[in-house]
Amino acid sequence: MGSRSGKRLERSVLRRLGLAALVVTIGAGLALTSGCKPGVLKIGAAGPYSGELSKIGLDSYNAIKLAIDEINEAGGIGGRKVELVMGDDEAQSSKAQTVAEKFVADKAMMGVVGPMNSNCVISALPVYERGGLVMITQSGTNPEITESGYKVAFRLCPRDEGQGGAAGDFIVNELGKTRVYLIDDKGTYGQGLADQVEAKIRSLGVEPVGRGQVAADDRDFASLLTLIEQKNPDLIYLALPNPSQAAALIKQARAMNMAAVFMGGDGLKEKDQLIAATAGAAEGMYVTAIGKEITEVPEAASFIEKFEARHGSMSIFSGQSYEAAKILLEAMKRASAAGKMTRAEVLNQMRTIKYRGILGFEVGFDGQGDVAGAMIYVLKVEGPDFVPVKDYPAEKPE
Amino acid sequence: MLAQQIVNGLTLGCLYALMALGYSMVYGMLQLLNFAHGDVMMIGAFAGWTAIAALPAGLPAWTRLLSALVAASAASVAVGLAVERYAYRPLRGSGRLAPLISVLGASIVIRSGMALITGGRSKAVPTPALLGSGQLAVAGIRVDAVRMLVVGVTVALLLALDFMSRRTSLGRRIRAVAEDQEAAAATGVPVDRVITVTFALGSCLAGVAGILAGLYFTQIDFYMGFGMGLKAFVAAVLGGIGHMRGAALGGLALGLAECLGVALVGPVYKDLIAFVVLIVVLLLRPRGLVAGPSGRSA
Repeated sequence: MGSRSGKRLERSVLRRLGLAALVVTIGAGLALTSGCKPGVLKIGAAGPYSGELSKIGLDSYNAIKLAIDEINEAGGIGGRKVELVMGDDEAQSSKAQTVAEKFVADKAMMGVVGPMNSNCVISALPVYERGGLVMITQSGTNPEITESGYKVAFRLCPRDEGQGGAAGDFIVNELGKTRVYLIDDKGTYGQGLADQVEAKIRSLGVEPVGRGQVAADDRDFASLLTLIEQKNPDLIYLALPNPSQAAALIKQARAMNMAAVFMGGDGLKEKDQLIAATAGAAEGMYVTAIGKEITEVPEAASFIEKFEARHGSMSIFSGQSYEAAKILLEAMKRASAAGKMTRAEVLNQMRTIKYRGILGFEVGFDGQGDVAGAMIYVLKVEGPDFVPVKDYPAEKPE
Repeated sequence: MLAQQIVNGLTLGCLYALMALGYSMVYGMLQLLNFAHGDVMMIGAFAGWTAIAALPAGLPAWTRLLSALVAASAASVAVGLAVERYAYRPLRGSGRLAPLISVLGASIVIRSGMALITGGRSKAVPTPALLGSGQLAVAGIRVDAVRMLVVGVTVALLLALDFMSRRTSLGRRIRAVAEDQEAAAATGVPVDRVITVTFALGSCLAGVAGILAGLYFTQIDFYMGFGMGLKAFVAAVLGGIGHMRGAALGGLALGLAECLGVALVGPVYKDLIAFVVLIVVLLLRPRGLVAGPSGRSA
């Protein structure tokens, strides 16, 4: 055996060793990053799954889960299963940040649906941006979310200006109300929405007769309503995220024989918690909705059927949540097809995606991550239902 | 309008007072801040609601109301006693921190349990169907049936409790145990049983407060005990914690301060006012509005 063949042998052994080492490293790496299930891709769901808003949160989580189950039944993405990870933020900013840290640290995590509350989105965004992890909120309407220059932020709902603009225009031009009182909950959502409604009615020449605040866990409105009664408003705008709180306020106002018309935002569009709970007291109330009533979208029929079979009735953000998950999965599919299953590629695909699902319009995102083509629907409570009365293209300031 | 706000404040204050009493009685006896007290109240609200919803609408309103009150007190007493038995008693004598943490845990268990049972949904209490929508209006001040019910039931319970505390042997025992457990035991007072009875009484009042709050606010949910519990704690401290008349007075004072604050300063400061009042009172009278020479006497 000459020295040359010896060297060749040496080299091939080295090569094999190297290859083995590489395989071991990759294997170990995969095992580490995906919790011993090599090849699993993950999606995070961030939202208020416990605490006061848990009803709305869990109905959204269940809708996201449905989308994930569907894709797994169809064979996953590029043959890889998708796993949903729950991140409960209880609608609290600090917890939303902790959830974001957890998601970002998980290398198999490819995108996040949520958080749902504007305050949570705003506090978690810097973390998602640092991790380059796409985040699509189904319900965070505060303008700041997409105004702060974060590249990973997408939202499936119109901004507060959209709802505020439509509501303001409807109050002044359609209802002809001139004595408007606004109530918000001091939260990011409520305050932001009330600000936009107030700005719009002022721009239309109507000076609000007053503005009051309630705390999120307040259920006694006697003192506030006594104060409001003095101002004699013909319309009371409720910028509250919790339909049960609004129901208490409306019933207490009616018990005082206050005749003002009520109007509220998307958070209040809840049949069971608002219409049924008020037993007629909310009759004639208006709400704006940031998505079409999905029961009227033919493409949504199969989703509704599946969801209701599993979980009973839907709540406000179930449809939005399902669609958000579907869009994220679509972006991941495209990234996988492009051969680059990375966070950066998912982000890339999100920027150009066009997706027509169950919301009744083709979803796309503008340069800031705001949804394009969305409409605002004004609905009126008539009997047990919300009946559409007018729609507006969602306004966005230049 | 100020007169109307005083009516609002007294009604709200009655609910705070009922809750504060339970806080104060337990603290007076065990130096334990029973942070599960708000959740015990919430259980009462749900039990009362269940009774109202389960009974046929054809029954007279007073039967349904009475059953709601009974169901609320019974359920709250059961849960309150469970808290005492499993979250407090095993830790008695192990300092003040351990029982406090354990009771906080009990609070989380009760609240989360109810969240699971209700699926996070709130329930509507059909107040107008039970009490009608009529109201007395005297000189521009409106008093409706639910306010009369809240104030009436509270005043009756407070008077009964005051009588019990001062004139009956049970009241004497409660005061004896609160004063000095060892001395009470040495003179033959069954300390364990007195503590149990105290928890039961406090929980019963909380249960009544729960269903009254449900009727007054018209909506109940698993989270309602948190805010109310905190306010009741403030009321108890305001009145002089451990002191029963003080707790009642503290509750009324807090309710009044909140409602007058909304009228005079503005709705945005409602909670702020409550806590400013607390701080000011404690600065001037560190033992609360009503305090005995020792600062704690039941």
